[in-house]
This record gives sequence, C-alpha cells and structure tokens, in this order.
Amino acid sequence: MPPAPGARSIASGGRVLILTLTLITLTSSLLATDPGPGSIAPPTLIMVNDLDYDNGESLTISWVPSLDDVPGQSEVVAYRILRSSGGGQEATIGTVLAGESTFVDQSVNRDSAYVYRVATIAANGGEGYSLPTDAVVPNREWLNWDLVWLFLACLVLGGSVVFFIETARRGKKLFVRKIAGLEAIDEAIGRATEMGRPILYIPGIQDMDEVETLASLTILGKVSRQIADYDTQLFMPVARSLVMTAGRETIKTSYLEAGRADAFNEDMVRYITDEQFGYVAAVDGYMVRERPATIFLLGAFFGESLVLAEMGNSVGAIQIAGTARPPQIPFFVAACDYTLIGEELFAASAYLSGEPRQLGSLKGQDVGKGIAMAVILIGVAAATIAELTGSGFFAGVVSTLQNVFTTR
Amino acid sequence: MSLDIGVWIGALLTLGIFSFLYRDNPFYKLCESIFVGVSAGYWFCVFFFDNMVRKFYFGVFPSEAGIEPKYFLIVGAVLGALMLTRLIPSIGWISRWPLSFIVGATAGLYMMLFFVSNGLNQVADTMLPLYRETAGGDFDPAETLGTILVFIGTFTGLIYFFFSKEHKGLFGGAARVGIFFLMVTFGAAFGYTVMSRMSLLIGRMDFLFRDWLGLLG
Amino acid sequence: MAGHWIAVAINVVVGLTLVWVLVRTIQGRPIERRIVFVYIALAVATPLFMKLEAPLAETPEVQSIVTTIKELPPGSRILISFDYDPQSAPELQPMAEAFIKFAFKQRHKVIIMGLWPLGPDQANQAIRAALEDPSVAELAPEYGVDYVNLGFQSGNEFVIQGMGSAFKNMFPQDERGTIYDNIPILRGVTNFSNVDYVQVFSSGKPGTREWVQVAADRFGATVGGGTTAVQAPEMYPFLRSNQLIGLMGGMTGAAEFEKAVEELGKANTFLLSQMFAHATVIVFVIFGNIAYFRSRRRDASTDAPTPGGIS
Repeated sequence: MPPAPGARSIASGGRVLILTLTLITLTSSLLATDPGPGSIAPPTLIMVNDLDYDNGESLTISWVPSLDDVPGQSEVVAYRILRSSGGGQEATIGTVLAGESTFVDQSVNRDSAYVYRVATIAANGGEGYSLPTDAVVPNREWLNWDLVWLFLACLVLGGSVVFFIETARRGKKLFVRKIAGLEAIDEAIGRATEMGRPILYIPGIQDMDEVETLASLTILGKVSRQIADYDTQLFMPVARSLVMTAGRETIKTSYLEAGRADAFNEDMVRYITDEQFGYVAAVDGYMVRERPATIFLLGAFFGESLVLAEMGNSVGAIQIAGTARPPQIPFFVAACDYTLIGEELFAASAYLSGEPRQLGSLKGQDVGKGIAMAVILIGVAAATIAELTGSGFFAGVVSTLQNVFTTR
Repeated sequence: MSLDIGVWIGALLTLGIFSFLYRDNPFYKLCESIFVGVSAGYWFCVFFFDNMVRKFYFGVFPSEAGIEPKYFLIVGAVLGALMLTRLIPSIGWISRWPLSFIVGATAGLYMMLFFVSNGLNQVADTMLPLYRETAGGDFDPAETLGTILVFIGTFTGLIYFFFSKEHKGLFGGAARVGIFFLMVTFGAAFGYTVMSRMSLLIGRMDFLFRDWLGLLG
Repeated sequence: MAGHWIAVAINVVVGLTLVWVLVRTIQGRPIERRIVFVYIALAVATPLFMKLEAPLAETPEVQSIVTTIKELPPGSRILISFDYDPQSAPELQPMAEAFIKFAFKQRHKVIIMGLWPLGPDQANQAIRAALEDPSVAELAPEYGVDYVNLGFQSGNEFVIQGMGSAFKNMFPQDERGTIYDNIPILRGVTNFSNVDYVQVFSSGKPGTREWVQVAADRFGATVGGGTTAVQAPEMYPFLRSNQLIGLMGGMTGAAEFEKAVEELGKANTFLLSQMFAHATVIVFVIFGNIAYFRSRRRDASTDAPTPGGIS
C-alpha cells in the first residue's frame, strides 16, 4: 500500500529545509497572530526559504501547525497559502491538508518580492490567518549541488563508456557473450533464398528518437548486407516517415558495400501509415498474400506485436524478434522462433556491427550494472543487519546509499 | 436498429475486418485499404495543422494579442526544411543534420529520464531488509517473502543482462534463475494483454449490439 | 429479461459442447482455430445480455487513488492527461468517465489536456457523459471556472518537461482559443506545484511512464495512472517505489474504481464478458496443452509428423 499522498512532499520538503542555507524570514512569534473569522488557531512561525540550486523559480513556505491541528482529532481540514507581490492584491496560491507544514511555491518570478500568509481552515468553515511574512526574493543559482551524486554517477558511467570505446578503437577485442537469436540470422536468410520467397523486416512502430528503432536499423544494416549478397527479396514496411528515410539509407549503404547498387530499389522500404492498427492491417495483408519465408520483428512494439507475430507464425515464416518493451516480449517468445529479450536487442546490435561505439556503450553499461548489483547487495545486507540488530551504523550505511541513489 | 449513417459505416467496417478471422477476402481488403488510406490522410492533416499551422505559424505570428511570438521556432523550421534537401540528391546529405539533432537531443533527455526513474530510484527502492515486521513489531511472513523475491528477481535479472561474462557455472545458474523470473513476468504480462485484447473485442461487440442493432438497453 | 435467459441457455449449451472439444483433443483430432473464434465471440457477446454481477476484488493500487482524491480539500486542482485514442476507449473511457464524475462531485477543479491528438476529444466525451449524470448536472460545473480543456500538444515528454516551467508555454490557449491568462480556473496555476494531483489515462507512449519520469520524478507532482491492461505490468515497479501513487489497470481496474466511487458504468457492465472470455481462454490453453503433449507422445512412439496443438 503506497503511503499517504502527502508523504512524498513532506519528505522532499524536509530535504529542502535541510539544504536551505539562508534567507529565512521569521515573521511572527508564537503568539503574534491574526485571528480571522471563526475561532480556529492560525499556524505560527511562518518561514519562507529560497530553494537552493534552482533557477529562482521556487520558494518554500513552512510553518508550525495550528494548535488545533491534533492528529486523529483535528478540527483543522487544511491550510491555505496566500501570496501578494509588490503591494498587489493577495491571492490563494495553494492548499495543503491538515498535518502538513510545508508548501513549495513554484509559481514565482525571479527578482520579484513576495509576501505570504498561511490560513488554517476549520471543518466548521472557520479560518485563522497568520501575520504576513517579510518580502522574499527568489534567487537563481547556476549549479544544482543537490544532484552532485547523479553527476558523479553519470561521470562514472559515461567515463566507462568512453574508456571502452577507446579500448575497442585501439583494436582490443571486447568480449560479448553469445546471443542465441543472432546465430539464427544466417539460417533464416538462407531459408528465404532457397525458397525464393521474400524477407519481411519490421522495425517496430516508433520513430527515430527511439533507441530500439536505432538498434533495429543497425541490425538491418547487417541483415540487408547479407540479403544483398544472396540476392533475396527484401520488404520493409514502416510507420514513421523518418524511419523510411533512415531505412532506405541503411539498405542502400549495404547494397553499395556488397557492390550491388543496381539491385537496390527504394520501394524496398515503404511508408504505410502512422496509425498503429492501420499499419498492422496492411502488414498482415502483405504476409498473407506474399507469404514471406523469414520475418524480422526488431524494434519498439506495442499492441501490434501479438497480431504481427501470430500472423507471421500462421504463414509458416521463420521469425526472429526482439524488443525492449516488457509487455510485448511474451508474445514474441510464444510465437517466434528466436527472441532477443530486452537489452539483448541492443547487445545484438553492438555485437553484429562490431562498432567500437556500440561495443563500448554495452561494456560501459555492464559497469553500471555491476555497480548496481554491488550496491543492491551491500544495501540489502546492511538493511537486513540493521533491522535484525538495530545497529545504527548499518542503518546509516543504508540511508547514505539511498540518499545517493534517490533524486526525488 | 440505428438510423445513423455513421454507425452503419462503422458497423460494416467492423464486420469487414472481423471477416478476416474466417479467411482473407475482398471485403476485408476493402476495409483494410479504407483504414490505411483514411488513417494516413488523417495523420497527415493532424501533423500539418498541429505542427505547421497551430504550433509554428501561430507560434511565430500569434493570432491573439497578449501572446508573445516565439521566434526560436524558426530554428526548428529551418532544421525541418533541411529534411527536404533529400529531394535533391546532390545535397541530400544535409538532411542528416536535422536527423542528428533529433537523435542527439532525445538521447540526452532519455538518458536522464531513464537513468533516474528506471535506474537510480529503482536501485534505491530495492535496498530493503530481507526480514520485515508488521506495524505491531511482529514478523511479517508475506512482506518478507515479497521482499526476498524482489531482491532475488532484480539481482539475478541484472546478471542475465550482464553481457561481459559467459553464462557458465554459478553465474550461469544465477542467470537461469533470472530468466525464470523474467518468464514469470512475461506470463503476468501475457495475462494482462489477453485482458486488454478481450476488452477491445467487448467494446466492438457492445458497439454492434447496443449502438448498431439496439439490442442492449 | 428474455435476453438474459437466452444468453444463459446459450452458455449452458456452449459449455456442454466443450466436452466434445475435449474428447476430440484427447483423440488427437484438435478443432480448427476458427471454431475457437466462435467460442470466444459467444463468450464475449452473450454476457452483455445477462443480468449478473461479476465478483470483484479490492486492490490497494485503485483504492489509493480514491483515497487521495477524497482527501483533497474541495476546490483542489486536478490535472488530467488524456493520452489515448478511440482504439483504447473500451478500457479507458469508462475509468475516465467515472473519474471525472467523481472529481466533479468532490467539487474539484479539473484541468484537461492530451499528449495524443485525439485525447482531448475523448475527454470531451467523458465530460459530456459526466454532465448527463443528474447529480453532476445539479452542481452545474462551468467551463473555464470548474473545468477547462487545454487541448492537444505535440512533443511527447518534452511537453511535460515544458509544463514543469510553465503550463502557459505549452498551452498558450485552451481548446476553444481562449488565452491562458483569461481562463479563471487557471489563475495562479503556473506549473505542477499549483496542481494538487495529476491523473493520467494512457494506452502507450507518451503515457503514464513518461508522466512518472518527468512530472513525478523531476517536478515532484503526485501522479496516479489509469492504463490499458497491456501497459499495467510495466507500471508496477513505479507503484512499489511510490513514484506512482495508484493505478487503474485495464477493465478490471476501471470496474473496481467505478465500484469504489459508486459510479457504476460500462466497466462493470463489461466485466462479466471479460470473465467469460478469460474462462474460455483458460479452457483452450488447457486443451492446447493436452493436444501438444499428446502429439509429442505420438511423435515419440511413431516418429511420424502430426499436427501439434490447436491448428
């Protein structure tokens, strides 16, 4: 069961308070309050803190809850936050539930001064207003030191990627484990050639901004190179215009490399429609009519995965599929001969291309996974020991690790 | 029975597509072609009016007072126009620039989004004690089992997707446990998807019986 | 009522014919796939005529959305993103309708937008359905004051990212062309810090995942999801880590939500069909396995090729 909805804002509010350095405006003492209509006690000690490391876009308002805000038997329903600027009219900018004591105002402009009041709202409709705060101006900072751990993590990951790319470039062979689906590519293309039937290549239905589509096109480069050598017929229907241009480019390059530029034909790659099931209807129709011997389904797939894979299976094609979309993998596993599961798609792309950049990225990611595994192992062990023994040291280890890995 | 021509067209097209379940036939081919044609035309209109007219034209030349013109959109428009250089083979290579821009910008954004939401935050959330207690301080077997399974599943799943080591020995065994967890996940996903597909079919049946034939109240 | 009894009778007869299918399967003569389609069609269609209530479990992920909305003080601002199109409407429209009715009845202010071109149209349909409800009509929610439709904006997660600075940058005008600053409900709404809750109805990308990644993780918004069943398993890791506060997954999620907020609608009507269809699928999975293992055994004994499973 997830915690109460306010829990996260309280947690982040708490962190904000710890990290905030100055600009604290104490405006009211515990007693100096302005009782509004009704007789509910207002919140006290209203503080306005400029959030550190931001673009001057937020101020955090915090308060000591109303004396009537007693957990379990509270007369208080909520707190209303009111704001005015430059002597203008005061307006309500937000409301939080009883029990909460912070509010982050992200609707402020840099270089304007703001004055706040917080009002208690009672169940019976009564309201109790605090006194206004002094004027506070939000500041802009150029660097966000809150994210220093994220920066370091990116540096380690990015650094490993660059290191391995350079290593690969220097000609050192980088080991990548065998991926079952890849070994079947030769056989699949050979089969289509023998049967004299076309090969259908489906690159998913997402655009060029999708890494899976990019990985698919890299694999297409290798596949089409082999198809060019064997002089087999290739058809690639696409659902995005950019993929059409990139696909044509990739196949053309392969045919040029194979010295078979004359055999390349732009109609090998055809745009169908952006509409998901319109695309499926057309590709299914193609499968039934042309009965391709081999079908590649590599890329980003959604609901169409099952329909396409099932139809491919029913026309008796050898199918090699791969996607990083978890919900679609089961259908590929069930209906295709070989499936590249999740990241294996990217690994296959790196493995086939042998390109230093892709191999380096894959190796760099392995470093990231290694670190993640180590951290999980240490974190879980420390958390378990802390839970069983009540050790403060191990609890500290866990909270430090969680702080490093949590950005919220 | 409905007297609405739109409902009739919808119903006949639905039946046409359903007819494929029996076998491929001219009626299905007709419906398929209508679907593909209409949707391609529809998306062309959506993209043209949304991007070119609403976003770009009215972004640079706002129709109403009080909206600031966004001149930076012109940069995007120029990059977009460069895509069309593909039509002139001699300078077609220029079209790679906007393509690089799209790939680069989204790769940058995605790296942060996925790294944070699907990576770091998830790792932090896995660091839980393998011994769990209820709010009252008693041993909580269900929660403990759940946490142990999440830990083993996450850890061995990571091992399966570790490409720098051959799956042999203890490492291979752990990877097999990982693929076992993955398959269980796929099974659950399979069930959910069957549910989704059935929902779509139910929606169509409801349309045929309620909106078209009027058999349902 | 006649429809109900006819539907029950058909199901009894269909149920009995399954014995015939089982016998054929055991004999090694599996039925043709088109017959399976007929079974599924009947399992889906006949329950629509039945007057039975399907059993439904309560899940924490749906209840947490209900609790969150109930606990918000009246007048809270709820942002709803409609990230789907008519194709996913059977699953998502019922939950969207129930959610909007519930939000109106709780007297919340509703801000609608869409990252899918047809999303805002689906929203308008849901609003129309909500306004037809007498108890909502009584409250007479007013456009611009109690709810607004900002329309569609292209750019996927970049839109959410842009909204993190200012909603106005992404939606200078609402769907009807009114300038952002002139819309009463949006006064004082600059970005996510000024909305109390974000509900996403999504069937793919961009969808709930993108909202979690950007709105929740980057801008600290409280996000709840409503997804098609296909998308639901992918969302569970976010639920466990509280990046997502609640989730309605597919038709059962929608039905449970309808029940929890006492807005019984289409999801509950469809639930029985869903149940019958699932039972049919389970039966045929079992039959398929029987046929498969039978054909394997025969393969082993005769070494002759035989059809495996349901052909």
